[in-house]
Amino acid sequence: MVRTFHFAAVLSFLLFLGNETATRAQDSPDIHVVVNMVQLNVAVTDNKGNYITGLKPSDFAIFEDGIKEKPATFAEGDAPAHRLDDLGQEASSPAPSPDVSTGSSDGTSPQTFDQLVAGSNVFVLFDTSDYMYRGFVFAQDAISEFIRSLAKADKIAFYSYSRDLSRVAPLTADRGELLQAVRSTVAGDQAALYNALLLTLKDAAQNRGRKVVVVFSNGPDNSSVVPPEDVAEFAQSSGVSIYMISTQEARLEPVSTAVFDRMTAATGGKAYFARNWRDEHRAFASIRDDLAHLYSLSYYPKANPNNGWRAVTVRLVGDRLKKYKVRTRNGYRPQPNRFSGGDKTTLSALNP
Amino acid sequence: MKAHLCVSALIACSLLTCVSFARSNRDGSSPNSHLADMASSTPSENEAPAAAQFTIPGPERSFLRMAGISQMVRPEEVLPLLSRNVFIEGYQGSSQPTEFLILLRRYVVQARELTELAAKNDMVIRVAGCEDAQPLLHILGYRTRPDCGKSDTALLTDDPERAFLTIDSGFPLPDLERTLQGGKAFEYPFAPSPVPVIFAGSEWTMASKKNHTENSRDLLDTILNDPAVARLYWALSRIEPETAGFLQQSIGLQKLLPYAAVLDFYGRELSISGGRISVPGGVAAESAWNDLVGASPDNPSAFVSKMLSRDKGWLAAYFDVLSRANREQQAYFTDPHRLKFFYSALLSMDSSDKPTRGTFRPVPEMLLLVSRLPLDSSGEPQVPGGLDTWKKILEGHHQNFVRKVAKQADKLARPDDLLRIMFALSRTHESELLQLYMALGELDSRRSPEHRLAPATVQLLAHKFEDYSDQYRIFSEFPELGDDSITRFLEVAQSLNSVPMAFRANAFGTLQASVGIWQILARQGQISQPHLDESWQRVIRPFASIHSAAQLYDAGRTSLGEIFRFSLGKPHGSQDDIIELLAGPPQTTPQGKQMHNEVANRIRSVLDDQRLVSLDTLLSVGDGLAEKERGKHPEEYVVLLAAQTREFEMPRPIFSNGERTQWAAGIYNNHHTDVEMRTDLPKLLKAPTVSRAQIEEARGQLASFLRDTLVGLNYAYYEPPGAQALHNNPLFVRSHDFAGESVTGISSLWQAPVLLGRGTPAGGGAHFVGSLADLPYALAELEQDFISPNSVQALVWGEMTPGMLTSAILPRWWNVSPLELHAVALYQKSGEELLTASEKDEALRADVLAILSSRLLPQQARRLEQAMRAGKVADIIPQMMPADAFYLAAEFQQKHSEQPRVLGTSTQELQELTRQHPDQVNWKRLSHDFGTPHPVMAQNYGPELLNVAPMPPFAGSSSRFLPECWDSPNLYWARLADEAGYPPVMLNRLVPELTQNMIQKIFATDFEDWPALLRAMHETGAEFRQGKLGSPQRISAVQH
Repeated sequence: MVRTFHFAAVLSFLLFLGNETATRAQDSPDIHVVVNMVQLNVAVTDNKGNYITGLKPSDFAIFEDGIKEKPATFAEGDAPAHRLDDLGQEASSPAPSPDVSTGSSDGTSPQTFDQLVAGSNVFVLFDTSDYMYRGFVFAQDAISEFIRSLAKADKIAFYSYSRDLSRVAPLTADRGELLQAVRSTVAGDQAALYNALLLTLKDAAQNRGRKVVVVFSNGPDNSSVVPPEDVAEFAQSSGVSIYMISTQEARLEPVSTAVFDRMTAATGGKAYFARNWRDEHRAFASIRDDLAHLYSLSYYPKANPNNGWRAVTVRLVGDRLKKYKVRTRNGYRPQPNRFSGGDKTTLSALNP
Repeated sequence: MKAHLCVSALIACSLLTCVSFARSNRDGSSPNSHLADMASSTPSENEAPAAAQFTIPGPERSFLRMAGISQMVRPEEVLPLLSRNVFIEGYQGSSQPTEFLILLRRYVVQARELTELAAKNDMVIRVAGCEDAQPLLHILGYRTRPDCGKSDTALLTDDPERAFLTIDSGFPLPDLERTLQGGKAFEYPFAPSPVPVIFAGSEWTMASKKNHTENSRDLLDTILNDPAVARLYWALSRIEPETAGFLQQSIGLQKLLPYAAVLDFYGRELSISGGRISVPGGVAAESAWNDLVGASPDNPSAFVSKMLSRDKGWLAAYFDVLSRANREQQAYFTDPHRLKFFYSALLSMDSSDKPTRGTFRPVPEMLLLVSRLPLDSSGEPQVPGGLDTWKKILEGHHQNFVRKVAKQADKLARPDDLLRIMFALSRTHESELLQLYMALGELDSRRSPEHRLAPATVQLLAHKFEDYSDQYRIFSEFPELGDDSITRFLEVAQSLNSVPMAFRANAFGTLQASVGIWQILARQGQISQPHLDESWQRVIRPFASIHSAAQLYDAGRTSLGEIFRFSLGKPHGSQDDIIELLAGPPQTTPQGKQMHNEVANRIRSVLDDQRLVSLDTLLSVGDGLAEKERGKHPEEYVVLLAAQTREFEMPRPIFSNGERTQWAAGIYNNHHTDVEMRTDLPKLLKAPTVSRAQIEEARGQLASFLRDTLVGLNYAYYEPPGAQALHNNPLFVRSHDFAGESVTGISSLWQAPVLLGRGTPAGGGAHFVGSLADLPYALAELEQDFISPNSVQALVWGEMTPGMLTSAILPRWWNVSPLELHAVALYQKSGEELLTASEKDEALRADVLAILSSRLLPQQARRLEQAMRAGKVADIIPQMMPADAFYLAAEFQQKHSEQPRVLGTSTQELQELTRQHPDQVNWKRLSHDFGTPHPVMAQNYGPELLNVAPMPPFAGSSSRFLPECWDSPNLYWARLADEAGYPPVMLNRLVPELTQNMIQKIFATDFEDWPALLRAMHETGAEFRQGKLGSPQRISAVQH
């Protein structure tokens, strides 16, 4: 009996990085687990929330289930990702000293931001359910401004949801089309946030590069059939960060508060609870700021007998960086591909 | 939690009915948008006299958005649908306007303001730049920021109330924004939109009582403010125009106003022509109707007036229901004695209920009783078990009012007497006994005369009906199951109710899953017909005496072994074997093998995503335990396999246990999974010594996993297209609560499952409580919301979609011959040829209309007849249901094939095929191979074609009449496949894909928006023909 671990990079990264796979074999039943290259969006901040930029690959240590992993690629902001050598170093890029970016929460300079987020795929998911009725027009204003501000970012998709998901504008660089899409939405019906978020994540996961989903929701969900934990796990396993902006009502509703806080934290994103339309604008500005300062790291997991949840930890190396905080997704679950795949070892008698 | 707000028609609809309706840009309408209006009950210019017109303010597109009307409708449909939405969605209680109506009224005001603005520029709103934008911005409720005229100028909300109307009505705000950024001048045509009016606008405004006391309003204001007028407008728009015109002329709108609800629910079958009203039963029944109504059909004005006013509308309801029956049933029910006899029963119950109560038409059972009553060869109703049995059933019934009725049981001398009781029950709220009669009628009528249900079986089924009725569908589907099989099943089920709670759910689930697998294999012909009865008994027998969980595990294995024995001819098999069986009979062609693999892999995919333990593992570990019991140490690989039972992990929790208790009390319950996760079979297998009791306990633990995998196979087989819960919630199958552990108050656990946990984020995901009966529909209902409508304003049509998905996934096309596929296409083409030939052949026209009269409403029939006379059948054929054309050809061939007529090529080819291959080209076989399931209407999941007219919408479970009476899509997909040259086996992929595509395109306004369904179907067909569907490569790859 052979037990095989099959490490295969997802297609997008095969295209991007070339075919890098690893295979391990152990004596065990014939169980297959597919493990993609793991990509991490990492934010590093000081205790005031200022972003720390200028870090180099060797400043990061990645652990999966306590196993130290070798980074495969590294990028900061919108800089192209570099493959790293065996020592985890870029061949030609002397690392500068870390800088503290004091970009305020109400936005960074357009040039800086545009440069940094180019290459991102941003999926905006807008709540058009009954719950959003009162704030509907203000929310549209805020989303429109957010889209305008992403002038040079690669692509944005705009989806809306109530009971069903509507893919109003697929991933596009055409801002005019997106603004038209935002203004074409219609309010009404029940709210199935987690159903819609799952479908949005699935769309996002199919794309190369950095992927984030920005949810603008009033909070409550009265129609979903999938629970938030499954949605969060899918986001974690597919490397999509979730940002959620909600209105004050969500803060007043403990279930939504809990989900928003915990789901975004688990995926490396952030949650915002806006008391008014000005807060909504600030929240969008903060997301832009966050996207602009993310590091992208990836690795191919070393042999790991754990077929279940794998905890991921990113630490900063060296005393000078210990004071900074790291935010990224906290783990993932390898895709199952087993059991029914034909364990033909034993066709035993059925009757006892 | 914040309360719902009723924002628009979309919202209001959802609050009331969870149905999806929608609107979108008319400019984006399909080229086929002119199609499919034949089934619409709104008038068209085809037959209406030159209609008066009314102008609604602003663009029609904006008005439709605000009024909750599909952008696809034709202008003559606008006012009827507006009227409908106003009286259905516009009021809470009797007079309190909903948010929908408030917004619609506000929009009309805003549109009139914009009209005034546009009037200054030839009905075009024109803004050159910042200087002249202010009046428009004020009306729209927006302001500029930062200063106007800059490249980053944006429009921001200034007056949220106005801004909402601006957005919701689809005002082109981004275009205006670009102008204010310095772009070219903004120009937006804002001319009023003319729409036809039934009669004249003044007729309606004068009829409104509200207008007598308030300032006179125009037609739009009248409809928006007077729900009675709105309802009457809607009702008359759905009546055949000549009839509606007659009623308006002879009775008058004011006098009809009090009967708007009666006309709405029961007026569509009215047909007045040539000074006479058509009555159910035809000329032969006119005298009886004269006696019953108190007016002659020759005097339609008096007839209708009296009928509407009699018995709060019950007589009109009776008339409507009988009108919808087929000719034979009408002949039975309108026998002069019976007509009065049955009607008197309707009035005998002392009930104050009106037949117009509620938003939806009540008393669905009366319609079902009349339209589905099985008559025997002598024209008498079948009585399952005989009248004496029913006397006992009535006398022993637990419901008081039934016992009251049962006092009449002594008089049960004829079937008519029993029918009379059923009529009486049909108008009550507790119609369980009528449902029993209908269910047993369906069940018994499918049996041969020599194998009718025994009286004792009927009594048993009646006794158990309240708890097990949904399980009876399998007995309808397989009439080969004899009295003994039925009895044994009910005995086994009853015995399992008594097993200890610790493994009761596993017992229910394992038995039902085994029966579910048997049902699939029997339906697919993999268990041969002669062995159905025996195999059934063999499959259920192991569960007859369960006293421990270990016994349950053994029973599950034995039962599975019997399934293998009767399907594969051997008593053993693997998980792959059962998957291959479920994926259909073995195929020999490349296409067949490819389809078979696809279906098998879909099943595997669900099992993987549910992280279910393989059957092979469970059986091997069971064997290992048996060896251990015999003192042998199991092989190492068995220990490793056993480790799989410990590999399942719960999803990473977002909520603490305390939070779940607080926020999802009674919903979150994973007791079953928790118990499984505590098992440690490897430890036991590795232990040097274990007791017999420990072995027994371990086998009992395996029973839990065995249940999951068997249930998972059922779920996977019925996976709807686009399913997500099955692939993303690994607790979904495990969470099926068979024993009511997670909720109290559900007493009938053997009935169709109830969905629990929807919209409860802390509840761990939605799951089913109850049995596996009705699983295909239940899964479709749950997964439907993962289908994304194409239009931003559309929602998935909640009443239709699960039924359509069920009809797409349950039938399989493994045993269909290319000849059959071609015949199905020919039937549809032949029907169209007959319609075309009717243009010039008056005798043929009469025959065709006679056949279609039982499937079309008078309004539709009249429109078709007019098209025939005008030589415009070509225009109306695309508006015909494919099933109508199919039935027309089939009926015509049966009734008139001997008559010498010049027939079209398809008809000739069909006749030749029928002559050469009667074994393949016959109604019974085509009905079986291309039909759809009718679990509610016919109590049967077996696919068949029911020759019934479209049903009206009902609430509750009877809402399923609507999709179940629509059997056109599969016939149409088959025709497309035949035209494209696909082998029939490809329908196993094409039908789910095309159905999903069609559902995404549906853009409907109301519950009876058949044109929207036809339109979506034709659009899908057009895309298929053009190779525009998502997977043309995959499809073309196997095209021959």
